[in-house]
Amino acid sequence: MTGKIVFNKKLSDKYYYMKIESPEFVKNAKPGQFFMLKTQSFDYLVDPLLRRPFGVCDIEEDCFTILYTLVGKGTYLLSNLQTSTEISFSNPLGNGFSIVKNKNVALVGGGVGIAPLLYLSKALKDNNNSITLYYGGKSIGDIHLLEYFENTCDYIKISTEDGSLGEKALITDIITNFDYDIVYTCGPKPMMKNVVSVFQDKVENIEVSLDERMACGLGACLGCIIYVKEGDNIVQKRCCVEGPVFDGNKVVWEL
Amino acid sequence: MAKNRLEVEICGIKFKNPIITASGTFGYGIEYSRFIDISKLGGISVKGLSLNEVSGNMMPRIIETPAGMLNAIGLQNIGVNRFIEEKLPILKKYDTRIIVNFWGKTIEEYVEVAKILDSVDIDMLEINISCPNIKEGGIAFGTDHKMTEKVVSSVKKNIKNKPLIVKLSPNVTDIKLFAKICEDSGADAISAINTLLGMSIDIETKKPHLSNITGGLSGPAIKPVAVRMVYETYKTVKIPIIGIGGIINYKDVIEFFIAGSTAVQIGTANFVDPEIPIKIINDLKTYLENKNIDKISSLTGSIKIN
Repeated sequence: MTGKIVFNKKLSDKYYYMKIESPEFVKNAKPGQFFMLKTQSFDYLVDPLLRRPFGVCDIEEDCFTILYTLVGKGTYLLSNLQTSTEISFSNPLGNGFSIVKNKNVALVGGGVGIAPLLYLSKALKDNNNSITLYYGGKSIGDIHLLEYFENTCDYIKISTEDGSLGEKALITDIITNFDYDIVYTCGPKPMMKNVVSVFQDKVENIEVSLDERMACGLGACLGCIIYVKEGDNIVQKRCCVEGPVFDGNKVVWEL
Repeated sequence: MAKNRLEVEICGIKFKNPIITASGTFGYGIEYSRFIDISKLGGISVKGLSLNEVSGNMMPRIIETPAGMLNAIGLQNIGVNRFIEEKLPILKKYDTRIIVNFWGKTIEEYVEVAKILDSVDIDMLEINISCPNIKEGGIAFGTDHKMTEKVVSSVKKNIKNKPLIVKLSPNVTDIKLFAKICEDSGADAISAINTLLGMSIDIETKKPHLSNITGGLSGPAIKPVAVRMVYETYKTVKIPIIGIGGIINYKDVIEFFIAGSTAVQIGTANFVDPEIPIKIINDLKTYLENKNIDKISSLTGSIKIN
């Protein structure tokens, strides 16, 4: 399907926030889902060739948003797209986060991994949950969209590695309260691994949103394999179809 | 009823159009049925099956390269028997030709898988002697003259009911030689080409991007090599050729037909956008109507030199 860019804002030297209008996409998107996006508007260009996976950051009426950082040529081309440009993307893909009711929940996001936690926080607020957001980055330039989270979260705790905003620490080092019913996390793999190790044995449900390089996003290419524990066995799962959200207690971080 | 300009025939089997999705890029077909009407496809070549389940290579398995991608999935599949029990009954509900790609670690295993597939309700077999991503089987058979002859003739002798397509490796000095060996060994058709052996290195870590070190290059980047190889094969053999390699739009398909293809397979483009094969079918129909070409098969081998 296609949609029109409403805005493509530069937030800092490497972070961008894009809003796309597509009632059809919005109709089906759940918090935690992702989609495959063509990073350029010309059909005849084949470099980059593959679409890129992005998490659904937020939904506002007929529009959805993405938060992205400049990584390679795909995101560079994306950052140059102007308002009103039509771009192509897939349906919402993969499973999403569990939406609980009347619980005490923690969201832990790092860097661009904060993106899917925004739409999640809206859904959790609508279901009468008490929400604490832990948001970490290397520096102040990695912390964005706080104005949106202020509307949905009851408590917000921030840390940066250089101390330019919030506490000078890793986000997992500032977690001192473990009294949550469920923890949701998205960010760099080492951070999520730490989140699981901090909360395991204290919180039963930890949902992690994983990211793997993928070609199709539909379960066919088998390029995005994740390893999880099933009983005594370690089994393969496709990040795109069986994920991207997995039970954090079952993920095998390194084989 | 209006004539179907897109119908083609391969080894006596009619395809409603020449667009087949390539093995390894379309799963077991069913994965895509949520996104497109797979009954509109001429055919589906199912992911390469082996006798037993194979779990594939370690991650990372894919890396994008200019106008293409490298993969080293490692022929991961659920095994021939599980395919027949779990996937084939679902796939049979769709109105499309089913080609099953298969491989083995030994000649005996190739024969065993072929015999099993020969007895089930599918349309054609496609033998993979050209996967560059596994240590045993695959490319070891497709780049050695004697092994190619031996595996193709052994399989052919042991199947009675289905035409045999041999998928050729581009990783040889002279593809004509291998095409001729396949024809002489009993192949009913040839599909060309499989992926080109390639490599990509991370300049920061100095490590290869793929855990397997090397992988198979596919996508538009390989199209000129594939067109050349189809052209050379067409000049060498009389059996039909299914062209594969970097096709992403209808113009690419026409080019492959002019070079000598009777049908084509769409591979990496399925990853780029699952709707591409359907778009190609529609665009081909319009092209033939506008050019007043009665049947697409009249384009096969229509290249003009001089």
